[in-house]
Formats: sequence, C-alpha cells, structure tokens
Amino acid sequence: MPTPTLTQSIVITLIQCVLVVAFVFVVVPLTVFAERKVLGYLQQRLGSTRVASGHIGITGWMNRGMWKMGRVPVLSYWRGIPGLVADVLKLILKEDILPAKADKFVFFIAPALSMVAAVVVFAAVSFVPGTFFTLPSWFPYVGGLPVSGGIADVNVGLLWILGVASVGVYGIVLAGWASNSKYPLLGGLRSAAQMVSYEVPLALSLLAPVVLSGSLNFGEMSSRMAIGLPAWALAPQILGFLIYLTCGFAETNRLPFDMPEAENELVAGFHTEYSGMKFGFFYLAEYINMTVVAALASGFFLGGPWLLPFGLQGLVNPYLPAFLSWFGEPHAIFFVVKIIFILFTYIWVRGTIPRYRYDQVMSVAWKYLIPMTLFNLLLAAVVRCFAV
Amino acid sequence: MEHLLETIGRNMFAIFGVMALGAAALMVAFRSAVHSVLAFLFAMLCIAGCFLALEAEFLGMAQILVYAGGIVVLFLFVVMLVEMSKKKEKEVFQLQSRYAVAAVLIGAAVFVGVFRKVIFGTASPEALVLRPELAEGLNVARQNAQAVSRSLFADYLLPFEILSVILLVALVGAVVLAKTERV
Repeated sequence: MPTPTLTQSIVITLIQCVLVVAFVFVVVPLTVFAERKVLGYLQQRLGSTRVASGHIGITGWMNRGMWKMGRVPVLSYWRGIPGLVADVLKLILKEDILPAKADKFVFFIAPALSMVAAVVVFAAVSFVPGTFFTLPSWFPYVGGLPVSGGIADVNVGLLWILGVASVGVYGIVLAGWASNSKYPLLGGLRSAAQMVSYEVPLALSLLAPVVLSGSLNFGEMSSRMAIGLPAWALAPQILGFLIYLTCGFAETNRLPFDMPEAENELVAGFHTEYSGMKFGFFYLAEYINMTVVAALASGFFLGGPWLLPFGLQGLVNPYLPAFLSWFGEPHAIFFVVKIIFILFTYIWVRGTIPRYRYDQVMSVAWKYLIPMTLFNLLLAAVVRCFAV
Repeated sequence: MEHLLETIGRNMFAIFGVMALGAAALMVAFRSAVHSVLAFLFAMLCIAGCFLALEAEFLGMAQILVYAGGIVVLFLFVVMLVEMSKKKEKEVFQLQSRYAVAAVLIGAAVFVGVFRKVIFGTASPEALVLRPELAEGLNVARQNAQAVSRSLFADYLLPFEILSVILLVALVGAVVLAKTERV
C-alpha cells in the first residue's frame, strides 16, 4: 500500500469531511421528517401529509386510489416528504430580520458558533475501525489510497468531542443575549445553567467507558467496549447508557429538558428573534447535536460498528458459527442503524414524557444523576480492577 | 504545494500564537464586555491550537474543555447579567486604567523576574519534549496523557495536592463571600 504524501492525505481528509457532512445532512432532514410523522402517530394523527407529490406523482396516485377504496393508505407514511424541500426553501427565502437594538456582530456569529461546534464534533467519531474503503485506482490524484473510518483518529478523541460540544453552549447563550429582548435572554440564561450543569454528569458517565477500555481514542474505546469486556462489565455499561442518554437529552435541549425553548413559557426561547436561515442554523444544530449524542451513545455503549450492544458481541463471537461470521465483524451500517434507533428514541421520548419544571431539571442533575454517575464510575472501576 | 503545506505545518505554533496574541489584544481593546469575552474565548482556542502544534494533545483538549467550555461560559454568564449602560458598572468594568497600568507593571516585573533565566540563561542539557521513542507512531497521545498523569500523580504529587487545596480554599471563600445572610 503506497504511503500518501502530505497533500494527498489532506485531500483524503477533505473527502472524508465531505462524506461525513453528506451523512449528517442526509440524516438530519430525515429526522425532521420522522419527527413529524412519528410524533403524529404517537398522538394518533397522520403527521405532515400536505406537501406531497400530489396528483402526478406515483405516491399521490396510489394514495388517491386507496382513499377511494375507503382505507387509510399505507403510502401516507411517506406523504409529506417533499415538504422537506419546501421547509428548506422557506428557511432560505424568508426575510432575515435584524432587531433594531440587537448586537449585530454577536447576533450574526451565534448561529454560526452553534452550527460549527455541532458539525466539528464528528471529526473524532470513527464510523468503522481501520479502512472504510479504498479509493478506486482511476480516481484522480488519490487513486488506490485507503480512506479510514474516521476523519481524525486522534488519541484524545473523547476530550475533543466533549470540549467542542461544550463550545456549542456559546451559540445559545450569545443568541439569547444578542437579541436584546427578555424572553431570549431568559432562555439563554436557563440554557447556560442547564447545559453547564448537565455537562458534569455527561462527562462523568462517559468516564466509565474510559475506565473500562483504558483509552481516550474513539475507535479504540468502541471496539474494546464491544468485544473486549467480560460479562461483569454489563452492569456499568447499561447503567451508564441510561444516564448518558438522559444527560444527552438535556444537553441537546430536547423535550423533557427543553428549558431554553419551552414554547409555552418563553415564546421560543433563545431563538425568538431569529428568522430565515439564521434560525435554520439553530434548527440544524439541534438535530446535528442529537445525531452526535446518538453517535456517542451507540459508539460507547451500544457496541458501535459491531452488531450487539453492551459488549455482548465479545461474549457471543467465540460461539458464532462460520456462516454467520459477517455478523461478528464491524460494519458501518450497524453503527448507522444504531444512530437512527437512538434518534427514534428521542422522538419517542418527546411524544411520551412531559416537560420538567425548571427546579426539577436542576435537582435531577445535581441530586440524582451525579451521585448515580459516581456510583457507576465506582462500579466500572471495580470491574476494571478485578475482572478485566 | 507540498512545500507550502509543510512550511505551514512547521509554523503552526507561530500562527496560533500570533492569533492568540491578537485576540488577547482585542479582548483588552473591546468596549463591550461580551465582545471581550468572545475575544477571550478565541484566544483560549488559539492557545489550545498552540498546545496541539507542540504535540501536547491532552493539554490542548483540556484547554478547550476547561477554559473554552467551562470557565469562559461562566464569565459570559456573569457579564450578560450586568447592564453596561449604567454608570456604576461602567466604572467597575471599563474605567480602571490606573489600577490596570499598575497591575500590568507588576505583572511585567514578575514575568521578567521569573523568565529571565529561561530567556537569557543557558539551554538545559535535555530538550523539554517527550522522548522521541514515546512520540512514535499512533501512540503519541496515549503516551502524552500517561506522561501528564505520571508527572501529576507521581513526580509532582505534593505540589499538585497543595494546589488543589488552594483551589478548594478559593472555592469555599467565594461561597462565603457570595452568601448573604438569610433572615
């Protein structure tokens, strides 16, 4: 295998960046659509169906046929997908309003900050260990070179993820301040307090995988968590997963903890004064953050690119018959499926659990989650000490 | 192209350093406290870049996590609550040039005193970097984190613990100062 020169490796990294961004921008709109639909079905309605391919498209034609037969058409699950294009067009074309008393520079930079912080986290996420695919030899300039499964295989990947994700707080806080209006300011303050508080149990719950795997590298951690642990490690993994997911919901300001927005208390929270594509950036950043949390949860707890969650793969693999060996190997598709499952869980929880009161949010973080994460860390340390 | 990229790669430390200095200067120069905090954030990120250019990944990431992610957010939290239009707060935040000049002079004196030997003294017999056999291959950063933890928890354990006690004292002191008597 030829060693790439510096320029070639930079080109390969750019290709990886394009791939990851493409992945993100495919998953995010589909999540938005799924949120409308799944939430609709959870509340016993059809979700968005209006912007459909109508009378000329094939789904519209088949749907009309089924309605005429007096049945709810199966394809209405997919009706409304063209609405995604309409949504994006609306965001781009809408007038961009700048409040008269707003701080222009900060108002401008806040959505960019939260968007950039959300996307850049993916630099350290490794989708599959080792080589993802080898570029074909006809490819100009970088033909025949391997493309690895993550952009940057840094050995402090977890710290990078936590650090950059914590920079994302600025977007929300600055947006709240720069709007120079009381509801956004309240939303911004709430979110600063909430996100700074929930970062503590979030980081602590991720310390248990660090202790168990003895590494800070994303790929190494996920492979050791998936296939390198004894059965004893199940307990800290499952508990840690539940805690991490709870904190992840709070970090991304999703529904049981959506204090920064809380539409029936604060209009729309920190982005009340935003419109057009600046609002679109916040919207995107929220969904990208959800994807990030989903990627971390599936990478560290659900086995990452391996099939079975919670380290069960390592226990099952020795007994796997030869014809099933494909399921014993890491594949990027497993990782993506897990991400999608957790994104579904987000919507599921949103449709199920009502919002906490603000003081309850804080007491959940400081009085329950932090002691639980400390206990979990202790459990992980015991397992590490005696069983690994 | 190759040559240009290599030159840039070699001079990353200088690039990030100049950017950090520029951001720090902007932080002093800005009139609005929130803008100052933003410039401070940028300076902190650039210093993390400096650490990365020195192959101290762990320190760089800790810099982002602790300063950019934690401390500066709390600065921002405080600054946001202060309305800068009032005269009293303006005095507190913006019109302290006499004290500022004195502080800068004292700081410069301390800096010169401490770093005189570093700048003008003879070079140490060993270069102050990780050993090259530790920095080989992909194991750089793991060795990096291990090197940091070894020096913290083995070589310099006592100073480290004393520092943490000092931090604790500061924390408790802040709570005592900030707590008002409840009636």
